[in-house]
Parts: sequence; structure tokens; C-alpha cells
Amino acid sequence: MNIPESAPSDTDLRSWLRARVAHYVQLDVADIDTTTALTTYGLDSVYALILCGDIEDHLELVLEPTVAWDHPTIDALARHLEETLAQGSPSGESR
Amino acid sequence: MKVTEPLIDTGQVDLAGFDRALGDPADPAALLSFARSAELDRGERFPADICRELDRMGLPSLYVPAEFGGALTRYDELVAALRAVARRDLTVAIGHGKTFLGGVCMWLAGRPEQARELGADIIAGAPVSWGLTERGHGSDLLAGETTATPEPGGGFRVHGEKWLINNATRGTLLCLLVRTRPEGGPRGFSLLLADKRRLPADRWRPLPKVPTHGIRGADISGIALDDCPFPADALIGEQGAGLEIALKALQLTRTACTALSLGAADQAVRLAEEFAARRELYGRRLVELPHVRRVLGEAYAALYAAEIVSVLAARSVHTLPEEMAVISAVAKSYVPTRVDELIAACGELLGARAFLTEVHEHGAFQKLERDHRVVGIFDGSTFVNQHVLINHFPVLARGHQKGTADEEAVGRTADLSAPPPPARLDRLSLLARGGCGFTQSLHTASGELRAPASAGEVPARVAELAEELTNSCDRLHRELALIPPASQDVQPEAFALASRYEQCFAGAAALRLWLHNRTPGEDPLWLEAVLTYVLRSVRPPGQPTDGEVFDRLFDARAAGRPASPPTSVVTW
Ligand SMILES: Cc1cc2nc3c(=O)[nH]c(=O)nc-3n(C[C@H](O)[C@H](O)[C@H](O)COP(=O)(O)OP(=O)(O)OC[C@H]3O[C@@H](n4cnc5c(N)ncnc54)[C@H](O)[C@@H]3O)c2cc1C
Repeated sequence: MNIPESAPSDTDLRSWLRARVAHYVQLDVADIDTTTALTTYGLDSVYALILCGDIEDHLELVLEPTVAWDHPTIDALARHLEETLAQGSPSGESR
Repeated sequence: MKVTEPLIDTGQVDLAGFDRALGDPADPAALLSFARSAELDRGERFPADICRELDRMGLPSLYVPAEFGGALTRYDELVAALRAVARRDLTVAIGHGKTFLGGVCMWLAGRPEQARELGADIIAGAPVSWGLTERGHGSDLLAGETTATPEPGGGFRVHGEKWLINNATRGTLLCLLVRTRPEGGPRGFSLLLADKRRLPADRWRPLPKVPTHGIRGADISGIALDDCPFPADALIGEQGAGLEIALKALQLTRTACTALSLGAADQAVRLAEEFAARRELYGRRLVELPHVRRVLGEAYAALYAAEIVSVLAARSVHTLPEEMAVISAVAKSYVPTRVDELIAACGELLGARAFLTEVHEHGAFQKLERDHRVVGIFDGSTFVNQHVLINHFPVLARGHQKGTADEEAVGRTADLSAPPPPARLDRLSLLARGGCGFTQSLHTASGELRAPASAGEVPARVAELAEELTNSCDRLHRELALIPPASQDVQPEAFALASRYEQCFAGAAALRLWLHNRTPGEDPLWLEAVLTYVLRSVRPPGQPTDGEVFDRLFDARAAGRPASPPTSVVTW
């Protein structure tokens, strides 16, 4: 698994995640705090699985669909994704 | 009929022999007869003798994967066996088949020696139950209040009640979903195997049988646990992985449950057919009335559509495991719903005989009608499964647009001439990230019909129907892409789209089935009927459907001409 050449920076990733979450919960980006649990915004656990598909497409990574269960805020998620990208070999399942 | 040699055993699954041994339910001397079933139902008695006989035939070994000592190597065989039992008596199929549901979490996540031990118990005839539901909580699994507190020295102390659980009282073992973090959440639940033989008797008790409208003889009860100590090795999989494991297990159990609907449909159709053939009125037989033939022809088409979805879903466990989140949801929503409609249509034909509890095969029809009602409720209701599908709309739309389908795997699913490859349960996923190959590859499938249609080998009509389905499926996916995300309130319109999606899936599956199994010169009548049946529900209003194909289907079956899809296994 190669790191995409222009791997998005941490802040890019964070704002992208914020925008995705805002889209899914139908709120303004400004209303989404990156340290608050995603479930607070009504992104229920089962629906959070869908976020995985988006992130995979965006970062060209393969992740566990449950990634947002184990990293339940935007900050935690961004940190995890950064680490995964840095390792270059995601711990996710194989396609 | 007494059987000495098991018909189902490791390395040998004699489904035809099993079906024969079950006998003809119209014969009161058969193991499963309408007469005996009616009597047990009236008395609300569990069919214990019958289940013991099924144990001797080896049916429980089909609930255990071969790697853990059982005979399960093909999920389509499991569907066929459960269907054979359900065709005679749904109460028996639900009462006996529950053990498969009880075992699945272990097959997915248990340690090998733990799984082999459970496998040995099951093969020896121990019923295993699966407790997710509680009095206050059904579909909302994360609301469960039964709590397992980890003990300092290892093990757990479990407190709470599981209620409305099939075989909770009869079961020797129960697989329980319990809260292991006080705050809950998707990592706050775990699975424990309760072995009643090892739990202290004063710390648990069975809850009374709950009277039910259908499957009246089944043991629908519960278990109350009062700070009951569980050993550390009761844990199935990792602590905190309970929800994830259960959701994957449901992909298998929901697929298997469709067999119950197929069995009910087989029986409903048979009862209606026989009645229509015998009943005389106005100097004619009922079956000579055009609308009766139409209704029966349509019922065959409905049964074929349901059967194709069920059988190909079961084969997909082997060939398309990463898509099972979508496929199992489609199957569990589509099949019971279509069969409920089929039963209603057959019931109308039967008239009073659908209503009488002793007349006409001992009132078999009203029993199956009551019994089948539960299939669309348990193991994830129709709404719950459609909700899973709705959650997948973004990936379905994206996948359809990109066309990432693994066409070869779709072909392997539909090609019945080859046994499916070994099931890769480790590849089940909570997200079907690529969408669904069957619907994505409709373009290729309908394209493959074009050449034989222009060569006159296939009626042009069938190719036109396939084309219409393909266009309709494309239109649907454009709509799926437009609807707002459904993380909170799902709009009612989304459920209508889910139903349309299911019909497209059924049509795509039927088309694939025909393409990969056709024999030269074969009349694709069943395909034409299924495509017509499916399209009828997805056509825009104002485009009526010509039901004449259902009459031809009826005539073909009545004349004994081959008119069934190759998934059909029913011989009576
Ligand atoms: C005969 C029988 C046997 C059973 N056996 C077992 C068993 O062995 N083990 C076990 O754990 N449970 C078992 N159950 C329980 C069964 O699985 C639950 O009843 C089921 O989960 C549905 O819950 P509910 O209808 O009780 O209530 P609720 O979940 O409260 O549902 C109420 C209504 O809301 C709808 N609904 C729920 N969620 C959604 C959603 N997300 N979107 C849209 N609509 C929704 C439902 O379809 C239903 O119409 C059994 C039930 C019966 C009747």
C-alpha cells in the first residue's frame, strides 16, 4: 500500500472529516466540534460504518468498517488515520 | 419412518434422502404429518419427539461447520434442509433450526477448541439458543440492560433478563449478548455462552412460556440471571466485540431464515393447487376459472423469485462474503414479505378452507399462515433489514456508478453446476464497501441476452424485459444517490426505494441464474415470469403489466412441462 503522493495534512484531514460528518448529520460544519463524540450529533453506531467507505475512498486506504467505533471523535479518528498513513501498511482487512 | 443411519453426517449430506425420510405430510403416519402438527399446535406442545428424530437423522450436524466437527460446508444445503422441514411444519423448523442461530457467533469468533466443544454438544442433540432481545428492547441492541461485570479473578457476574427467546428453556446452552461497559456503546457489549450444566442452579431461572399467535408449540420464553457467575472461558471472541460479532452473525442467520419462508410458500402453494384442482362449483372445477389460474401462476412466479434470492444469497456466503451486509438484508426483507403476499393470495383461493382449523389437511393452511407471520418479525424485522439497506444507499450508488462488481464471483454464485468455494466467514464485513455485484452487473447480463434474442434462440420479449429492468435499476441508483443521508430520521420514501432495490436484486439474480445454467433450446418461461413479476412493482404508475405470462406458467406446470428455475428442489 503506497501513501498517496500528496497525503493530506492533519488539518486538511480534520476539516474534510468535519465536512463529511456535517453532511451525514445534516448540520453546519461550524456546529461540529472535533473533540465531541460523533454519536452526540446523532451519527449512530451503525450509520458510522458508512463513514469508513468515504474515508477509504478519500485516502485510498482499506480500513475496518468499525474504525469510528474505536476512534469515536473527529480528533481521534484523524489521529488514527494519520498514524495509519504514516505506517504505510494499514492494519485494516484485505479487500 | 425410523431411520437408523444418519442421512446427514460429516462428509455426507443426503438431502434427497432426508426429504424422503421426512415423508408426505398428508400421510398421518409420516414423521411430520399435518395431523400430528395440528394436534401439537392445538395443545401448544413442543414437537419434542419429532425433533429427536431429526437429531437421529443428523440434522444438527448441518448447523456446525465441518472445521468444528459438523457437516456444514455449503450454506445452500442448510437452506435446502431447513426448507424441507419448514415445508411440513414451521414450528418444528423454527424450534429445531434455532440451534444454528445459537451457534453462529461461536463459529465466527470463538476459539477453535471452544467451537469444537460446542459443535460436539450440538451434534449430540443439545439445543442452543440465542438471546439478544430483552423485555424492554427488541431491535435496538445497544439498549440491552443485561450486564456482565468482569470479576477481579477472571470471569463475569451476569445480571438481567433475556426475554422472548426461542428455546431459552429447552436450550442446554445460550449465546447471550451482554453489556460489559456500564456506558454501553458499540464496544460496550460482549457475547457469553451460558452453559446451564455449569451455572449455579440458584442463580438463574427460566421464564415462563410466552403464548403466541403462531408457532404455538415453540418454546418462546426467556432466562433471568441473578448475579450469576460465568467462567472466563464463557466469553466468545473479545470483550467489547459483541455487537460486531452479532451483526456479522445476523448476516448468516438472516440468510438461513429465508428457508423458513420458502417452506411455508411450498406448502401454501401445494394446498391451494390441490384445492383448486379438486373443488367443483358451477359444474366446473375451480382451477378452470381463468382468474384462479392467474393467481396460481403468479404464486409460482413469486415463489421462484423468493427462492432465487434465498438460494443465491446462501451461495453468496461463499462467493461474495464482503457483500453479505447488503445481500442478507435484501434476502431477509424480500423473501418473507413476498411469501406473506403469496400466502394471502393462496388463502383467498382457499376461501373458507383457509379459515377452518380442522377441515382440509387438518387446518394446515391457517396454521402455516399464523406460523409464518413471525418470520418477518424475528432475527431483524423487515423494517430493520430495510434500514440496513438504506444505510448502504451511499455505497450502493457509488458502486453502481463506478461498476466495481466482481463479475466472476457473481457468475460463480449463479452457476449451480459447480459447488461453491469454501465459505470465508473471516471476510464478512459490516459494510459492503463496493456495493452489490448482482445489480451492478445487470448491464453485462442483459447484454448477454441480446445476441441469443436476435438469433431467435430466446424470445425477444425476455430480452426486452431484461433491458427494462436494467434501465429501471440505473434510474433507481440515480435516485439513491440523491436522497439525503439517513443517519437520524429515515424518511418513509427511503423504505419505498429499499423495496424497489430488492426487486431489482431479485430480477438481476434471476437473470444471472438463467444465463449461467441454461441448456440449449430451453424455454425461459420461468425467467419471463419472474422478470414480469419483479418489474410489476418497480414500473412507474400508468404502465400496467400484462399477466398473461402467469397463465402460460400455470399451464406449463399443470401439463407437467419443466417450468421451474434450477434452484427448485421440491418434488411433490
Ligand atoms: C416468536 C418469537 C421468537 C423470537 N425469538 C428470539 C430469539 O430467539 N432471540 C432473540 O434475541 N429474540 C427473539 N425474538 C425477538 C425478536 O427478535 C424481536 O421481537 C425483534 O427484534 C423485534 O423487536 P420488537 O418488535 O419486539 O420491538 P421493536 O424493536 O421495539 O420494534 C417495534 C417496531 O419498530 C420497527 N423498527 C425497529 N427498528 C427499526 C428501524 N431501525 N427502522 C425502522 N423500523 C424499525 C420494528 O419493525 C417494529 O415494527 C423473538 C420474537 C418472537 C415473536
